Amino acid sequence: MKKWFLGAAASVALSLSGGVASAEVFKVGLIADFTGAFATWGMQFQQAIEAYQSANGKTVKGPDGKEHEIQFVYRDNASQGPDKTKQLAEELVLREKVKMLAGFDLSPHAMAVADIANQAKMPVVIMNAATASITRGSPYYVRVSMTIPQHVVPLAQWAWGNGIKKVFMITSDYAPGHDAALYFSKTFKALGGEIVGAEKSPIQETNYSVYMEKVLQAKPDALYMFQPAGSPSVALVKAYSERGLKTAGIKLLGTGETQEIFLPQFNDDVIGTVTAFHYTETNTNPGNTALKAQLKKMFGEKAGPDIASVAAWDGTDLIHRSVAALGPNAEGLKYLDFLKNAKLDSPRGPAVIDPVERDIVQNIYIRRVEKRDGKLVNIDIATVPMVKDPWKIDNPPKSN
Amino acid sequence: MSLGFALTILLDGISYGMVLFIISVGLTITMGLMRLVNLAHGSFAMIGGYIAGYLTQGGTNFYVALLVAAIIPGILGGLAEVTVFRPLYRKAELSQVLLTIGIVFVSTAAVTVIFGAFPYPVVFPEYLTKPVDIGFRTYPAYRLFLIAVGGVVAIVLWYLIENSLYGAKLRAAVDNPRMARAVGMNVNVLFTGTFMVGCALAGLGGAMGAGIMSLEPSYALKYVVLFLVVVIVGGEGSFKGSFVAAMSLGIIDTVGKYFFSQAAPYLLYVAVFILLLWRPQGLMPAKSVA
Amino acid sequence: MTKPSSTTTLAPAALAPISKLWATVGHVLPWAIAIGFFFVAEGSLSIGTQIMIWILFALSLDLILGYAGIVTLGHAAFFGVGAYAAGLFSIHFSPDPLIGHIFAIVVSGLLGLVTGALILHTTGVTFLMLTLATVSLIFEFGNQTRWLTGGDDGLQGMRVDPIFGMFEFNIFGQTAYVYALVVLFIWFLFSWRLMHSPFGRSLDGIRQNSRRMRAIGTPVWWRLLAIYGISAAMAGSAGALLAHSTRFVGLSSLSLLTSGIVTVMLILGGTRKLYGAFIGAAIYYLVQDSTAKINPHFWEFIVGGMLIITVLFLEGGLMDLGRIGRRLISRFRQRSDLP
Repeated sequence: MKKWFLGAAASVALSLSGGVASAEVFKVGLIADFTGAFATWGMQFQQAIEAYQSANGKTVKGPDGKEHEIQFVYRDNASQGPDKTKQLAEELVLREKVKMLAGFDLSPHAMAVADIANQAKMPVVIMNAATASITRGSPYYVRVSMTIPQHVVPLAQWAWGNGIKKVFMITSDYAPGHDAALYFSKTFKALGGEIVGAEKSPIQETNYSVYMEKVLQAKPDALYMFQPAGSPSVALVKAYSERGLKTAGIKLLGTGETQEIFLPQFNDDVIGTVTAFHYTETNTNPGNTALKAQLKKMFGEKAGPDIASVAAWDGTDLIHRSVAALGPNAEGLKYLDFLKNAKLDSPRGPAVIDPVERDIVQNIYIRRVEKRDGKLVNIDIATVPMVKDPWKIDNPPKSN
Repeated sequence: MSLGFALTILLDGISYGMVLFIISVGLTITMGLMRLVNLAHGSFAMIGGYIAGYLTQGGTNFYVALLVAAIIPGILGGLAEVTVFRPLYRKAELSQVLLTIGIVFVSTAAVTVIFGAFPYPVVFPEYLTKPVDIGFRTYPAYRLFLIAVGGVVAIVLWYLIENSLYGAKLRAAVDNPRMARAVGMNVNVLFTGTFMVGCALAGLGGAMGAGIMSLEPSYALKYVVLFLVVVIVGGEGSFKGSFVAAMSLGIIDTVGKYFFSQAAPYLLYVAVFILLLWRPQGLMPAKSVA
Repeated sequence: MTKPSSTTTLAPAALAPISKLWATVGHVLPWAIAIGFFFVAEGSLSIGTQIMIWILFALSLDLILGYAGIVTLGHAAFFGVGAYAAGLFSIHFSPDPLIGHIFAIVVSGLLGLVTGALILHTTGVTFLMLTLATVSLIFEFGNQTRWLTGGDDGLQGMRVDPIFGMFEFNIFGQTAYVYALVVLFIWFLFSWRLMHSPFGRSLDGIRQNSRRMRAIGTPVWWRLLAIYGISAAMAGSAGALLAHSTRFVGLSSLSLLTSGIVTVMLILGGTRKLYGAFIGAAIYYLVQDSTAKINPHFWEFIVGGMLIITVLFLEGGLMDLGRIGRRLISRFRQRSDLP
């Protein structure tokens, strides 16, 4: 709660100081959920942005030799629908006169601002929103997070390469879950594997007994889950062990369920789960060390990075660099040219933006949950270098 | 499909149904007795669950925690009956719906402020979290525990309603509240007492069932439809009806997920829709609670 | 709209004890505010558009819930279906907003008639559950048929032509605002006429005592079905406005929560007054917008608290505050007339 108030106070202070903005202030409108079911996204974005600006300064030297301030204006989508996003974006563009938009935890929210970005010729830096096709929605989109197929395809390949021949899938019944199911089965079957069963579970499911019985009947080598973090994935892992799947030797595969911030919600049943992800919180890249240290310094010991922090850190870095290169008053497409050709020195590891698709290309890490010093952690066991979003490879851009 | 497997599915359905029954039975009796549309019933189950979670996380004995998780919602329910619900009995359904939704909002906000927005676990004793051997396979002990407690609650309630003086009064009041009043029964005390028992059971169910229906601030709103379905399908005020409805719901949901998983999201609502068009008063319309 | 006799003969329930002047002010004020806002909003027009959409939605609910006494939790079904109908029409048939709007009205109106015909013979909690089941089924349908609705990603790729080929929908939102205002005004006039017609009076009677109405020969079921269909069409029109003004339709437009919110708005403003929807929706939207910025849970407390207080102490909604105020003023006037 306290942290929330600090955040709110900070954002109020920021928007107040916006009233006396001089020409040298470069405003970025950040839209995310700060309240409601998805509130952690907004908080994690904001903390990482503040951490970055505190570590690297709020100003950059432009090509004209002057110092320009980069200022983030935060708006709360309040876990409401895309119509709210649209309204916030319009207000940011028309009243706050921002030069770029950023943030967007949920895919529908990011998609909803395509119109505004096109009309206002405004670059949009997407910091999460993982539906593969989004960046095709507007030529002004640049994504610094990830896509679902980017995780799933390497995972399926790893599974096949490590003696898993038969897989059962339980995926959550919403858009990212459908993408995950599609790409896992496609990749796995193409390699020669067999999908012995596939179930869709409701988003809020917490009663997995029936699904586990089906898995037991199908006798796969591994169970692939794609579940929302929090109660659904915790309940799934519980049922997985309670119903004897773990003792039967059925491996558990996943993607984002075992991120470090969620691991404390699990008990030891989760040990051994293998996931594929673009960021391992325990890695020792210099960028990651800096991010973690800064977050803990500013927001206390309990603050930790997750994929939201990493994407916000990288996005802020890109925005700072683009203003340094082009000054505060360039045209939208000029910034875009800069952003889409950028290389990232990210806390997650090496990454670049693909100039054609304006989407991130990055390493994917295969990790296993283990217990070290009494704490559950993800340990990297393999790295798949520089993965481009497989959806884009399957759906090449129309030539025109 | 083997027999053992069919039994497993049945056990899963019954254990789920038991949780629904324990939580909903209080609602069915109060809705039958007081003609009150109470959408806030889930709030009492949620409060019970959070209390049990708080206590067990702090190391309190699980069964003590369950007891407290029943008593406190019971007391709160009694207070609410006297202060907020009593003026509602004479008002229109719409007012009842709105006021009780208001209570749901307030309790949701309170729970978020006190316990946070993340799911909140109840810590079950070690032996309940392990599978046990039941002859033809291993099965989660927790589910067996739910069936046992649910069975005991059902039998005790059935005995009370059928054979005790309280039960006789209750049946009389549901059948004909005006007459009950006229022959000198203190209907107010009966109402308050019944309400307290109903809320206590809801709290108990919320605490026990936390392993299936996990606790989060949206609990009260998320599951209230399910509780109402049990009540309406069973027939308002019908004890037996609500038992049958809860069991059927648990089993239909489980079997449905197993055999028609693609249709599962529709199944519950289609079933309710058809059933209510066929029998608008529910399966066992209560002329009496029993 | 304000014929000399209308205040007493046509609207005794709502406007009986006030003078002609007050009636005129009462009628002109909301529209004057709406028109004035257009010129002063600067960047906030889309909030105004949203509020008018919710007003129209709440107004449609007032017809069935307020006048006919049909207690439903499923009204979002028609709002959402209207929005999806308008959206799908613009993608697959024609981007003309007016034809799309009419299509949406027809589709949601038909849906209202069909579902109404199925469930309107029931009453009370059974009816409530059936409306709940209806909206949940339609929500699931929208969630499952990804190929059609886009599932929970929402409906993407709507194209909306300029209205009359002249007024383009853009980020400044002027077109959307005027469009919403005109549609709202037309529906308001329609509702006003309807509710002060013999048909409207018969609904009043059905709400108060449907058995007696049946006894005196009113075709109760047909009347209820008619108003249910009309109300559904109106809710669908609000949905179409939402789709056209945001060029996007999300699953949340079909959710139970949406039903809940519109009910809260109406109750807050006051039922059976038509203008109650105006006050309720506007206050709800503005209070939510400002308190949610302070603390989201604070907002839940406020909505919950407002509901409890409204039911227990202020059964006519905020519109009653106005009447209480007017009564005080008229008493004060009488007193000053005395000497």
